[in-house]
Amino acid sequence: MSYLIYGLIFLPMAGALLSYMLGRKYKKYRDYFVSGLAVLEFVLAAVLLFQYVAGAEKTYMTRLSDICGMGFSFTVDGFRAVYVCIAAFMWMVTSLFSMEYFEHYRNRNRYYLFQLITLGATEAIFLSADLYTTFVFFEAMSFASYVWVAQDERRESLRAAAIYLAVAVTGGLVMLMGLFLLYHQAGTLEIGALYEACRGKNVYAAAACLLFGFGAKAGVFPLHIWLPKAHPVAPAPASALLSGILTKTGIFGVLVISCKIFPHDGIWETVILAFGVATMVIGAVLALFSIDFKRTLACSSVSQIGFIMIGIGMQGLLGESNMFAVRGTFLHMVNHSLFKLVLFLVAGVIYRNLHKLNLNEIRGFGRKKPLLAFIYLMGALGIGGMPLFSGYVSKTLLHESIVEYAERLREAPASAVFFSAGQMKVIEWVFLISGGLTVAYMTKLFIAVFVEKNKDPALQEAYDAQKKYMTPLSGGVLLAASLLLPGMTMDKLANLGQGFMGLAGAGESVYWFSFDHLKGSLISIAIGALLYLVLGRGWMMRQVNAEEKEIACAEGNLQKLQAGKNSADGKRALQEGKVGIVSAFLKLRSGGTVYVDRWPKFLDLCKISGAVGKLLIKVGGVAAGLLDTFVDTWVVILRKTVYRDYSKMGELKEGNGFTYVLGSIANFVCRFMNRTFWRRHPRKTDYRHKLALEYWRIRETNYLITRSLSYGLILFSIGLCATLIYLLIGAVR
Amino acid sequence: MNASILMLIAIFFPILFGAVLLLMPEFSSRGRLLSVTGTGLVLTGVLVMAALGTARTDLLLLHLGDKLELYFCLDDLGRLFTLIVTIVWILAGFYSFEYMRHEKEEKRYFGFYLMVFGVLSALGFAGNIVTFYLFYELLTLLSMPLVLHTKTKEAVMGGLKYLFYSLCGAYMVLMGLFFLNRYAATFQFTAGGALHEELAAGHEKTLLVIVFFMILGFGVKAGMFPLHAWLPTAHPVAPAPASAALSGVIVKAGVLGVIRTVYFLFGASFIRGTWVQTAWISLTLITILMGSMLAYREKVLKKRLAYSTVSQVSYILFGLALLEPTAMTGALLHVVFHAWIKAALFLSAGAIIYKTGKTRTDELTGIGKEMPVTIWCYTIASLALIGIPPASGFISKWYLALGALSSDTGLFTWLGPAVLLLSALLTAGYLLPVTLKGFLPGVDFNYAGLQKREPDLWMLIPIVILAAFSLLFGIFPNPLTEFIRGIVSAVL
Repeated sequence: MSYLIYGLIFLPMAGALLSYMLGRKYKKYRDYFVSGLAVLEFVLAAVLLFQYVAGAEKTYMTRLSDICGMGFSFTVDGFRAVYVCIAAFMWMVTSLFSMEYFEHYRNRNRYYLFQLITLGATEAIFLSADLYTTFVFFEAMSFASYVWVAQDERRESLRAAAIYLAVAVTGGLVMLMGLFLLYHQAGTLEIGALYEACRGKNVYAAAACLLFGFGAKAGVFPLHIWLPKAHPVAPAPASALLSGILTKTGIFGVLVISCKIFPHDGIWETVILAFGVATMVIGAVLALFSIDFKRTLACSSVSQIGFIMIGIGMQGLLGESNMFAVRGTFLHMVNHSLFKLVLFLVAGVIYRNLHKLNLNEIRGFGRKKPLLAFIYLMGALGIGGMPLFSGYVSKTLLHESIVEYAERLREAPASAVFFSAGQMKVIEWVFLISGGLTVAYMTKLFIAVFVEKNKDPALQEAYDAQKKYMTPLSGGVLLAASLLLPGMTMDKLANLGQGFMGLAGAGESVYWFSFDHLKGSLISIAIGALLYLVLGRGWMMRQVNAEEKEIACAEGNLQKLQAGKNSADGKRALQEGKVGIVSAFLKLRSGGTVYVDRWPKFLDLCKISGAVGKLLIKVGGVAAGLLDTFVDTWVVILRKTVYRDYSKMGELKEGNGFTYVLGSIANFVCRFMNRTFWRRHPRKTDYRHKLALEYWRIRETNYLITRSLSYGLILFSIGLCATLIYLLIGAVR
Repeated sequence: MNASILMLIAIFFPILFGAVLLLMPEFSSRGRLLSVTGTGLVLTGVLVMAALGTARTDLLLLHLGDKLELYFCLDDLGRLFTLIVTIVWILAGFYSFEYMRHEKEEKRYFGFYLMVFGVLSALGFAGNIVTFYLFYELLTLLSMPLVLHTKTKEAVMGGLKYLFYSLCGAYMVLMGLFFLNRYAATFQFTAGGALHEELAAGHEKTLLVIVFFMILGFGVKAGMFPLHAWLPTAHPVAPAPASAALSGVIVKAGVLGVIRTVYFLFGASFIRGTWVQTAWISLTLITILMGSMLAYREKVLKKRLAYSTVSQVSYILFGLALLEPTAMTGALLHVVFHAWIKAALFLSAGAIIYKTGKTRTDELTGIGKEMPVTIWCYTIASLALIGIPPASGFISKWYLALGALSSDTGLFTWLGPAVLLLSALLTAGYLLPVTLKGFLPGVDFNYAGLQKREPDLWMLIPIVILAAFSLLFGIFPNPLTEFIRGIVSAVL
């Protein structure tokens, strides 16, 4: 089995290099190679799962000692086997889909290189048996997946990728701090041994650091900021993986902390629950506000992660009898992975055809495309928790766990950790409303893309005429993936996964369609319908009057043109501007409603945290600069004062006292004249300097003269004359 | 051959070789100069390796009276240091063969380059503080010509600043020597300390001040705040291979001096828990943050790397200041890793300058498309320096942080690791943009102007080797860690 494990991890990594080399020459074969590798990976993962099931479900451990100092260790249990399988499956589907999606992309080689590296790293994370191994591959995964987000190198992609990287690096380092603390206190990082090692010790600080790191990847509030930015710009297959599986690695980490370090620890689980509720609500609200297809899906991911976090919190709070919560958490993880795979690939189909994602622009694309609509509906109904779909099962389980806990608190209020029975009731309603929001935003997307007509009739005609919107391969793969969703194997899967969270024994079979269970789902759906009708169709859409539209159009075009001037490909911007004008005219003619983004701009957490970061850097930079010049400043001060170059007191640099005084007076007069009479043509002569030069010239000349022969002769003659005069005077007397 | 004689030859052969090279008339062709220099480099390398391979040897060369002796002795710490010196020196030397093509007066450069090689080996082999001090001063004087090689105004001023700061530091050390002469049993490096208990009794307060001054003095070369300012001035003006050597190796001479002073003369127990330790740790932490912050704000690539050195060498000093075995292991590991990493980074920066003439980071958009191998090496070294597993910097930081947590230093137990990680974040902030902009220039980028600018093999191979080292030492660190544990267990 260890060969299988190493194969799962290192085969894609080796394959990555091979595909890179292959891709430099033969692009076509590279695509086949990558897809083949992904299929092989899935086969290996499936073999692993079957071996595990066939081998009496015994956990298996293997070690690679001495690598990276502490050595790596990997293990297989039910949870891990299932997730390895799901990861491989998602990679397989996205790889097959990518062949079509990336047809016209640049730098595909780079994308595939990092895609396969990430695959290996992700499998390693799910298989890791100690947190050291987890961390090493977590970092590899974070860095490799950066390239996905930045793949198309547009400005907003690079910006989103930078945010992604910043969150990933920060998260990674804080997680590392957590590992330091944990290893220092527990003396081991082996996941299985952590509980024993941490008992009786206060490891909350370590766990909080770990939670920060894993939460950043999972997209837990307030570290979810990268998700709504990164997903819309990443290529669709990458978004599907980011949202479906990379966030789950974060959840895996949270599960390790919750189930392996603090099983049934009330305080910790309350914290998780609180974060879960916040994430769930905020994600759902953001999703409803969004008017971008992929952004909605990204925010929806945030929200679903919140659901999962609530499940994790509940299973701890419920203590030993936490079957609902455990199974609900695990199933919702699995379901969400598959839903998001399907939904993002639908977004991929749309984007590949239109290169647009704004709801106003893609409106009506899905009309008369029953296959695409069916696939979308499979995902959307599932995620909305519609009875008969798998999302219903997991959401109901999670809901039941909250109900159960609230019930228990009502019977024994003393056992409450933080939330009382009443507050749990509130949480239950928040849960149901969030479920309703899920239904609402999924409906909003469905209506916009598949039901409504585009406001531009010409465009709608073009959309309707488009029949070849995806290749049979992509279509087949997508259909297969979507059909997995209303899975009937939920119970079996749950049985496999629950061991990781400390639940043993097969679950009692639940009669899913009793009214008690259906109630929650039905309430959610009702709320969703209401929210959609009131908010989605009311407040978030508006009738646009013609003038307003014209102004907006003109403004938009102006901006585009201005941007075009500066950037290299201004031509394209101009062209886009023209297209914009034309389509605006068409819209104007038809009138109608548009979707508007009502989310207030100042609530953008990215901007806030960015501003805070800049401020900190500024302050730190100034402080560091002061420290840096500390000694040099002293040297300069000393040179200017005590160790100044020696000069005599009162010594003038040039000229003598007379020229100095005279020059100063002349300068003063000159300045005075400059301000009054010579204002037009001020003179800039420095008379002090000029006189000093004159003085030097005179001295120099004197010097020359006094030493010359003629001067001597003159003096001689003067003397001679004087003697002659004397003699003459004497003679006259 | 007698092992101790071998050691002497390994030290003095390159010094004499370099001196002769300087005195010789100009060579008729560049090739001849390079072949002579290459022979000298390789021969020295072989000699040093042979000397390192011998068992513990010592040699009393000269007795100047009283405790003043010229004494060489080879221990494991010296072995480690000399090994790093040899590898970096030879690689950077071969790199210079191509790089120095665009500088003048290559003979002078190579002459001094070889002489410094000998001096550095001597520092590794030095068996007592007098010998160490002697060669330490010699190191400053002989490496200054490397800094001011281009003889531009900035280079000369940078060289003078380097001289001024180094001499300041050396005099602090010299003052320490006077006191040691009075209170130490011997000048020889003795694991665990060489203080004479009876003589030193009652003078602990004075001696603490002295040890602090000696740390500050050696800290000058190691770029420790407050006397670090020569580094960012001297590095950018020196030729790239000289910067690599300065940053990778010569600053480590200061680190070696600190280790010798603290662990082999005064003894770790002497300063544990005193104000000296507190002050020392504080200074290193300030330096770490300050260096990273300034590197983050700096735009000139080589200067940015110089500030990065300031920060990273203080990681090492921080590990040493904790006086804790795990932390010291981390510190020594970081000595090795930082040598590979920083040499690789400076050599890549040099390759960029040599090929494109660009020095500022904001001009480097798309550089990865022009010099893919170089920038890949730069990236690997960057990841290692940030501490991203499985590259090497991660391993040393792991030990440093764990050591800090299990040390007995109060507030610093957790503040230290936090500062290390904050600095790592800044490190990512100042190193990665070059890679990211280099490989992902954006859609606006004009691909038409691109041309392949990969440097030739003389320059490329050293960079690749150093980058590979900075990765492989992270994946397979255990043999080195075991070796270093041996050194550490002797002194702590």
